[in-house]
Amino acid sequence: MTFSTNATADATASRSRHLVQPGGVASAGCGTAWDDWFTGTRHAEIWLSLAWYDVLLRYRRSLLGPVWLTLSMGALIMGMGPLYATLFNVQLSQFFPHLTLGIIFWSYLAGVVGEGCSTFISAASYLKQAPYSRSVFSWRIIARHTIYLLHHLVLFIPVAAWARVTPSPNILLILPAVAIVLINVHALTLTLGFLSARFRDVPQIVSSALQLAMFLTPVFWLPDALPTRARFVLYNPFAAWLELLRAPLLGHAPAWIHWQTAAIISVINVAIAILMYQRCRHRVVYWV
Amino acid sequence: MALLDLVNVRVDFPVYGTHSHSLKQTLAAAATGGRIGTDTGVAVVQALRDITITLKDGDRLGIVGHNGSGKSTLLRVLTGVYPPTAGIRRSEGSISSLIDPALGIEADATGKENIYLRGLVMGWSRARVKSVFDDVCQFSGLGDYLGLPVRTYSTGMLMRLAFSIATCIRCDIIVMDEWLSVGDAEFQANAENRLKRIVSEAGILVVATHSWGLVQRECNKAVELSHGSIVRFENLPPSV
Repeated sequence: MTFSTNATADATASRSRHLVQPGGVASAGCGTAWDDWFTGTRHAEIWLSLAWYDVLLRYRRSLLGPVWLTLSMGALIMGMGPLYATLFNVQLSQFFPHLTLGIIFWSYLAGVVGEGCSTFISAASYLKQAPYSRSVFSWRIIARHTIYLLHHLVLFIPVAAWARVTPSPNILLILPAVAIVLINVHALTLTLGFLSARFRDVPQIVSSALQLAMFLTPVFWLPDALPTRARFVLYNPFAAWLELLRAPLLGHAPAWIHWQTAAIISVINVAIAILMYQRCRHRVVYWV
Repeated sequence: MALLDLVNVRVDFPVYGTHSHSLKQTLAAAATGGRIGTDTGVAVVQALRDITITLKDGDRLGIVGHNGSGKSTLLRVLTGVYPPTAGIRRSEGSISSLIDPALGIEADATGKENIYLRGLVMGWSRARVKSVFDDVCQFSGLGDYLGLPVRTYSTGMLMRLAFSIATCIRCDIIVMDEWLSVGDAEFQANAENRLKRIVSEAGILVVATHSWGLVQRECNKAVELSHGSIVRFENLPPSV
């Protein structure tokens, strides 16, 4: 069955009428895609609890618990900072905050997008239990990685203090930046989640692409070091999201071009996610 | 007010990852009863065809049929998990699925955490979870074990927990795969009473079973499935 015939089958399914069941997120298949999405999104208590337990259970038997998140990231940054500053021949005080935020935000973006592939595959036991809203499972992954991110971000405080990063009003730009990134990762986890459930090659493709993207994004290197003819790599979506998140915390405003890139990518991303949500939310239970 | 309505429902299962399209499938079709077609390139199992069922308040439906006849699929269509490939499904009222209560239990979380998580996932408010929490703990009879991770439980203990959570709240529609009997003799007697109670409070009961005796005892309607179609429909007299 090709993908298009699948979509036809789904269109038939969504034409069938469903009355809304009262109560809970167990109401997918009822109403429109929007209702389904909104029901899942509204019940923040559910996905926050699930995400919280994901973290809790993962570290339950370890002595230090989630502090390990902070420690292992700290070790990575402490090791790489001096090394790369020497390699690139830049001042550590200028480079260290850049690298710290680069690695922290990259691990967030790559983590969410990479795991976004298993949004629905890993939720199979829930999907087969009751018609839960599909958006719950995307928010669960995003919430979990955001908990990781907060554990990592703590590391920036001593680094910023050491490197004398001066806070400026630009820090407020982090708010629209976070909003843009959340919209994009939510859209991506849905799109990749549906695609991966149906085509099991997608997670492999995504993980290869992420590896490449890490080098094409100024995670480790300074964008200024790039020769003009190679500046096009800064237009990749990851570079834009990373810069939007990083610049405000370093005290400057992200370049206008990154807002533009991010805006265009967001529109495309959300449009695809809406399309996928409408077409695949019913069928996904047959794929997992 | 409970209502459950299927009109001309068809369910096709796409089966991905099967590369042999010939003899094996023919044999499988003969053995399991599903009709396996390959018209679209992927193996498609026609799990259900032309299913029309109307259930109203007070209806008790028994579904019988041999293995692979589509009983479980039909149950999952009724609960809304499998959206029909074609046809219409309508339902009114809250649905409780006792098809596989242990599905979705987090093995590393403790019994108590599982009660809490499951409650939330079912869409109950924190207050509602709290209000049933003690009842579930007490009914499961697991005592101090509720503080241990579920992975340390025996199968029987796991089923006790899952059963206790799944049956702690009254629902308009109950869908069951086989009449649940879990745990040791003592728990079974309690479970039986509890099940009887929530079933008697529910507007609609649907139970898939191999036992015709159970259908005659508990149900007022019965359908027999074969190869994904309804081959017999009966209105049963009330049991004495």
